[in-house]
Amino acid sequence: MANNIRNINKCIPRNSLSYIVPRLLTVQQYREYARPTSFPDFFQNPIFRKEDQAQLIESAELPKIAALPVRPPAVYQTSSAYHDPLVTKVINHVMEMGKKQMARNLVEKAFENIKRSQIERYHLASTPEAKAKIELDPKKILHKAVENAKPLLQLQPIKRGGITYQVPGPITEKRSLFLAIKWLLEATNEKERTVHFPEQFAWELLDAANNTGKVVKRKQDLHRQCEANRAYAHYRWQ
Amino acid sequence: MLSRNWRHLCRRYSQAVNFRTTENSPAQHNDKQEGLFYTINPDLCKQLFAHGGFPRSFMKQTKTFTETAIMVRQPALDLLACIKASDMSQPVIRYVLYGEKGTGKSITLAHLLHYAHEEGFLIVHVPWVSEWLRRVPRHKEMSNSQTHEGFVDLPLDAAAWLIHFKSQNQTLLKSGELKTSKQYVWSKRETTEAGSPLAALVEHGISRVKYACDVVDALIDEIKILSNAKQCKTFVAIDGFNSFFYPLTRLNTPTKRKVKPEEVTLTTSFMKITTNDWNNGAVVVTADQLAFPDDHQESYLPRYLLYKKGFEHLDPFVPIEVGRYSDKEFISCVNYYRDRLWLRGPPEIEAELKFTSASNPYRFMEQCAPL
Amino acid sequence: MSLFIRNYKPNSLATVYNVKIWRLHSTAAESTQKKDENEEEFRVLDILKKKDRIQRKVTRRADIQPDRSDRMAPDQNWGNVWPGPKTFHPSSVPLPLRQGYVPKGQAPPGKKANAELMKVPNFLHLTPPVIKSQCEAIKQYCTEWPNLLNSQEAIEKHYPVEIITSDYCHASPSIRNPLARIVTLRVKLSTLKLDKHARDKFIRLVGDRYDSSTDLVTITADRCPARIQNTDYVNYLLTACFHEAWNVEEWEKDKTEDDMEYYDWNNNASKKSLVNWHLQKKGESKTLTDDEYKSFDVSEIQHADGYKNAVSDWMNSGESEETVKKYAEAVRKLFGLPEKKVV
Repeated sequence: MANNIRNINKCIPRNSLSYIVPRLLTVQQYREYARPTSFPDFFQNPIFRKEDQAQLIESAELPKIAALPVRPPAVYQTSSAYHDPLVTKVINHVMEMGKKQMARNLVEKAFENIKRSQIERYHLASTPEAKAKIELDPKKILHKAVENAKPLLQLQPIKRGGITYQVPGPITEKRSLFLAIKWLLEATNEKERTVHFPEQFAWELLDAANNTGKVVKRKQDLHRQCEANRAYAHYRWQ
Repeated sequence: MLSRNWRHLCRRYSQAVNFRTTENSPAQHNDKQEGLFYTINPDLCKQLFAHGGFPRSFMKQTKTFTETAIMVRQPALDLLACIKASDMSQPVIRYVLYGEKGTGKSITLAHLLHYAHEEGFLIVHVPWVSEWLRRVPRHKEMSNSQTHEGFVDLPLDAAAWLIHFKSQNQTLLKSGELKTSKQYVWSKRETTEAGSPLAALVEHGISRVKYACDVVDALIDEIKILSNAKQCKTFVAIDGFNSFFYPLTRLNTPTKRKVKPEEVTLTTSFMKITTNDWNNGAVVVTADQLAFPDDHQESYLPRYLLYKKGFEHLDPFVPIEVGRYSDKEFISCVNYYRDRLWLRGPPEIEAELKFTSASNPYRFMEQCAPL
Repeated sequence: MSLFIRNYKPNSLATVYNVKIWRLHSTAAESTQKKDENEEEFRVLDILKKKDRIQRKVTRRADIQPDRSDRMAPDQNWGNVWPGPKTFHPSSVPLPLRQGYVPKGQAPPGKKANAELMKVPNFLHLTPPVIKSQCEAIKQYCTEWPNLLNSQEAIEKHYPVEIITSDYCHASPSIRNPLARIVTLRVKLSTLKLDKHARDKFIRLVGDRYDSSTDLVTITADRCPARIQNTDYVNYLLTACFHEAWNVEEWEKDKTEDDMEYYDWNNNASKKSLVNWHLQKKGESKTLTDDEYKSFDVSEIQHADGYKNAVSDWMNSGESEETVKKYAEAVRKLFGLPEKKVV
C-alpha cells in the first residue's frame, strides 16, 4: 500500500512545476489518497478543523504556511462541530459502490438506534449511580467498541522448509484499526435477512463496547492463537 | 459586535430552562405559553390517539421521551382563538392548515383535538386519509357498494375508523343522550330503530363489518342533525384532506379498473361533513404534500394541493400556515431535547443545527438523532 | 577580397576625384608633387573612402506665409469659413486639436496631416449660430405651430401614433445607411378604444410587442428596403390587428368557465358558495338558479368585496404566499374572526 503511494507520487511530473515553488518549501507529507490527484506534491493538506487552526495561530506557524498552495478539502472534511474522523472512516467502510449518502444514513440510523436503546435503559435505571454509568453518546460507544475490537497481535504466514507457519508478530496501529472495523462489519452482516443493518450494527457496537459479543471473541481467539504459536516467533527473522 | 450580541443572546436563552408549562389544558393556553411544551396525560393520549393521530416518528419519540409533550405554537393558538371567537349558531367555518413538510400540521391538529376533547366536542377525526386511498397493503378489503350504485366500499377501514371514533368519544357515547333520528334498515333481520343511541349504531358497524361504510354514512348524517339541533357540538379534524381530491387512488377494482376518490363511499361521507350546511361545530383539515405521490409535491400552498375541486368545495375557508420554528421556539425545543437527552454536545452545535435544518421541526429532530 | 572588389567596381572616376580631394587637403603632398613631378605618383590605398559631408543647400523662401488658421480673426463669421459638410482641413480650423492613438505617456499627434481627424465625420458646419441663422432663413416657409398642441399630453392625445426612424451621418462614398430603413411604430393601447374582448384578442395578436407595464404597443418593420415601404407596412399591421381584434369567432360562444383567460369571480363557484353561506347565515334556505347567482348583489354582504378581490387575485396572479395571506385576511374579516397575530 505504502509503496504504491510512493510510486504514484513519482508519476506526477514534479519538475515541470518546480519553478513555481522554491525547492526549500516542498514539504514531504503523508498522503491519504488512494489514487493520483491532479494536485502536485507540494500542495499542502487542508487544515479544516477550527482547533487545528487555532493551534497554528497560537504557535505562530500560520505565517510560514500561509503562502503555500493548499488542496481543496474533501466533502467529509468539515469544520462542523460533530465531525469525527473515526465516524467518517466507518462510513467509508460501510459504503458500497460509492453510495456514500446511503452509507451515512445507515450509520446514522445505527447511532439513532443505540441512542434510543440507551435512553430507554437510562430511564429504566433506578439509582442515579446506575444512571451515571450508562453511556448515552453513540459516538463514544463506537470509539469504545472499536478500541475493544482492536487486536494487539497478528499472524503472518511464513514459509520455512516447505511448511507454512502461522507466525505471530506485532501489528501496526493502522492495520489493527482496519481489522477492528472490518470484523465489526462482518459480524453485522452475519444476520437474518429480516433484520436491518442499522439494528444489527447497533447491537454489535453495544456488545463490543461492553467487551462482549462476536467481535471481541474473534479478537480473543486471535490472541489465543498467537499465544499458541509463540514457538514459531523466531521465524520472523530467521 | 453583532455576533457577540447574538452569542450572548444564545447563552441567555440556553440558561433559561423554561421550556415547559404546567398548564396542561389547551383551553387555557394563550400567548404566555407560546413556544413551551405541555404534556398530555398518558391515559387520555391512549384514548385519543391509540388508533392514529400522531405521525409515526412522533410516536417513536413519545416512547423514547417517556412522555407525550406538544409545543404550544402560534398556529394552534390562532385557531383556538378563532374557534372561541366564532359564533356556533352560524354555519361551520372550515380551517385549512397548510405548510411545508415536517412543520407540524398533524401535531397542531392533535393539540386542537385535545382542546376539542376537553371542551366536550363530539370528535370526528380522520388520522390520515391516504391510509384509505393511497396505502394498499397485501390484503386490502374492497367490495362494491350494495346501497350506492357504482361505488366502492372499504369495510375494514371504515370499521377501524368506527373503533377510533368510539374510543375518542367514549364519554359522550356512554351517556347515551345522542339518539338517531330515523330508522335504518340494514337487512331483513337487522335494523337500527329511530331513537336508539348513537353508540348502538357504531357498535353495529363494528360488529357487522359488511355494513361499516353505510354505518359511517348514516353516522355522519346523524351527527349533522344532532349538531343542528344543538344536542352536541362537533369538531371535525381530517388530516391529509387533499388526498380526497387527487385524480386517482391506488385502489383497483377486481376488474383492474383504477378507482377515483369520489367513487369511494367514505369520500362522499366525509365530503358531506366538510360542507358548511350545518352549524354548531368547527372543521379543521390539513393540506399536506405527503398525501400526494412524489411527482405532485411542487408546492405546499392550498390551491395547488386541493385542486380546483377541493378549493371550490371548501371555499370560503380560513387558511392557517404552520411554519418553521421561530427563534424562541427553536431555543425552547433545543432545551427540551437536551432535557430529554435527545441532544447532547457543545452549545455551538445548536447554531449549526439551526442552519442545517433551516428550523424545520421534523428535520431538526432527525438531525439530532445520531448525535 | 570582397572589400576590394566593392571599392573598385565603380569606374576610376571616383577614385581620381578622391585622390584630388586628398591632394587639396594635404599640404605635405603638394610639396612632394612640386618636388618630383616626374616621379610616379604614390597612390594611397584608400579603403574606407572618407567622404566629406556635402552640405545640401536648403532653400528657404523668405516670403513664407503663416498658417491660415493663425491668421483668422476671432470675430469672423464661421459659417462663411465652413459653409457645408466637408472633410477636416487643418488650416481652416483655428482649434488646437489633437487626435490619435499613441503609446502611453506621449501626446496625441497634432491636427496637421492627421488621418484620424479626417476619417471621422465632423459637424463643424452645424455650429449653433449657423443653425440659428439657417432657421431664421427658412422660417418664412414654415406654418404656425397649432397652439392647442401646447403640451406633451395634448400631443399624445391628438397624435397617439408615434413613428420612430433614425437618420445616419455617414462618411462613406454612399450617403445611404441600411439602418435608416427601419421604422418603429409606437402607440398606447388605451388610445385604441378597444372593448374587453377586443383588447384581450389584440394583446394575444401582437404577442410580446405589447408591454403591460407601460401599456405601449411597439411594432417594428425592417423587411422592406425603403423607409416609406416600412412605414406603410407598420401602419398596415396596426390596422389589420385592430380590425381583427374586433372579430368574434363562432366558436368563442362555446367557451366554458374552464376555458376563460382569467378568473371572473362572478361566474365562478366561489360566488355561489359565498351567496349560499350568506343565505344560510340569514336562515333562508332557497336554491337559486345560475343567473340569479350571477346577478346577486354581494354589496349587501359585509366585507364581501375584499373577499372577492382576494379570490380573484389568488386565481389571476397565481398562488403565492402573499395571495394566500391576503385571502386569509379577507376571509377572517368576512367571518368576523380575530386577526392573525403578527410575530
